[in-house]
Amino acid sequence: MPPDNTEAEQSSEPPSDGSSPAGEAETTKKEPMSVTRRGAIIGVSSCVVLLGLGALRYAGHTPIIHPPGGQDETNLVTRCIRCEKCYESCPRDVIAPAHIEYGLLGMRAPTMNYDADYCDYCQEENGGDPRCAAVCPTGALTLPQDATAQNVIIGKASIDTHQCLAYRMTACRQCYDNCPYDAIYLENEDSRNPLPVVDLDKCNGCGACEAVCLSLTTGSIVAGSTERAIKVHVTDTVESGVY
Amino acid sequence: MKLSNIRTIIASVIFVALAIGLITGVGMGTLSGFGWDTISALCPLGAFEIMLAKLTFIPRGIISIVVMGVLVLIFGRVFCAYICPVDVLTRARNGLSSAKKRLQRREKREAEMTEIANFEISKCTGGCATCSSNCKPQKHPKLDSRHFVLGGALLSSLIFGFPVFCLVCPIGLSFATVLLFWRLFAFGDTTISCILVPVMLIIEVVFLRKWCGRFCPMSALMNLVSRFTKTFRPTIDNEKCLETTTGKACSRCAIVCPSDINLRHPEYGEHTLADCSRCRTCVDNCPTHAISMPIFPKKGKDDKFEVKVKKEAQEG
Repeated sequence: MPPDNTEAEQSSEPPSDGSSPAGEAETTKKEPMSVTRRGAIIGVSSCVVLLGLGALRYAGHTPIIHPPGGQDETNLVTRCIRCEKCYESCPRDVIAPAHIEYGLLGMRAPTMNYDADYCDYCQEENGGDPRCAAVCPTGALTLPQDATAQNVIIGKASIDTHQCLAYRMTACRQCYDNCPYDAIYLENEDSRNPLPVVDLDKCNGCGACEAVCLSLTTGSIVAGSTERAIKVHVTDTVESGVY
Repeated sequence: MKLSNIRTIIASVIFVALAIGLITGVGMGTLSGFGWDTISALCPLGAFEIMLAKLTFIPRGIISIVVMGVLVLIFGRVFCAYICPVDVLTRARNGLSSAKKRLQRREKREAEMTEIANFEISKCTGGCATCSSNCKPQKHPKLDSRHFVLGGALLSSLIFGFPVFCLVCPIGLSFATVLLFWRLFAFGDTTISCILVPVMLIIEVVFLRKWCGRFCPMSALMNLVSRFTKTFRPTIDNEKCLETTTGKACSRCAIVCPSDINLRHPEYGEHTLADCSRCRTCVDNCPTHAISMPIFPKKGKDDKFEVKVKKEAQEG
């Protein structure tokens, strides 16, 4: 259907083009000039391309985590104009443009990158009022009135037990020690090798665990792994166990 | 230095400043959402798109549209010449083509414009039996290809419910290229976007020739307002113009215009004066300094093209 719309729009326009700014009778009588023919070709093909781009909405994409206020993904996709203000305003540089690999639709929309730091909800830098949501000019990132670090769930951390050092009996407990919300507890705490486990009820996806995770940063970890052993994923996928 | 060159410097400086701000986190935003901290303007096209996508009014969007509309009504498409990074890229692209090609293109254009000028002059001085007369005035429809692109962008946003054009907007892509490259080298953030984004930008600037005049929906949006703009329009003083005073073809203004406007014979240009970006290239290039940009058009002045050759000039 979309191409038909374009045609209809296209064919309905030319009649209104009648009067040229030159206003000379002889101009209007002449055959359509190459300029308008080229214009029609450019116009129609561009419309088709743009409608095709719009159809990307249904192309499917991997759900990804978004900065505070972007948890309603439909709202984010509808409003984000890729102005890049949120990346710029983030005091900890944890907001990054989404990779195209996660889908064309969300490409360059803001996502979280916890490689070097985590989101403290701007507690330290701005008294708990996230800068990204405050500067977003389109409302793509909107926080509810009573939003706090605890009730805005960016995502949920999950541990890849094949990669995790602790699960290789090294007694690593970096994530446990660094979680600001006590959302990681240790199984067999008194043993020689306590195992970290994420408490999904307390985790808000701040990424503190991911930022300090030793895997992939020390270069000693299993070949073939592409992400850290503890990683924040979209809430739904973690809760349903598909990630 | 000529203002026509200064404008490229201004646009480059604005782009570099915003790009550095983007990387270092100064907080001025990009051209899509320019402003300090929480007070920022919104790209008017983006505002239209999200309002259609969401079918709701966004106060900041409305305010931005009105403010920009007023600015365009006063200054015309000045954004295109002095701020937009795409114009800089287009100029760079033209500068990169071989000297031979550039010369050919210029000569072709000169020949074309001179022919038009000769044709028009002969119409005034009476009789032109020999003129081959393939000079036909261009048709200037009220809506051209850019407006279809604009319509397509808005329609697609309305149907699919997200700002579609923002994905491919060359202004956004320019800033995205900087950000992606910065992230690639500073944080090792590798993604295919690092290739795809610049490639899209290059396609738009290099392969879709004359992006600004034929494709750009921002330019279309501004054109809808700037057609009513009367202030700062370039005006030829017929007392000084070579063509009207000596009856010899010149049309330098038409040859040099980057917006494809024929100031001397407006009916032949690809675009009309509505699309003037106030770049002042014609003012700088006029051999007799006959062109000026008065704040208000001079009333009662007959600007019809008429050759009034002075006696001495004719004899000489």
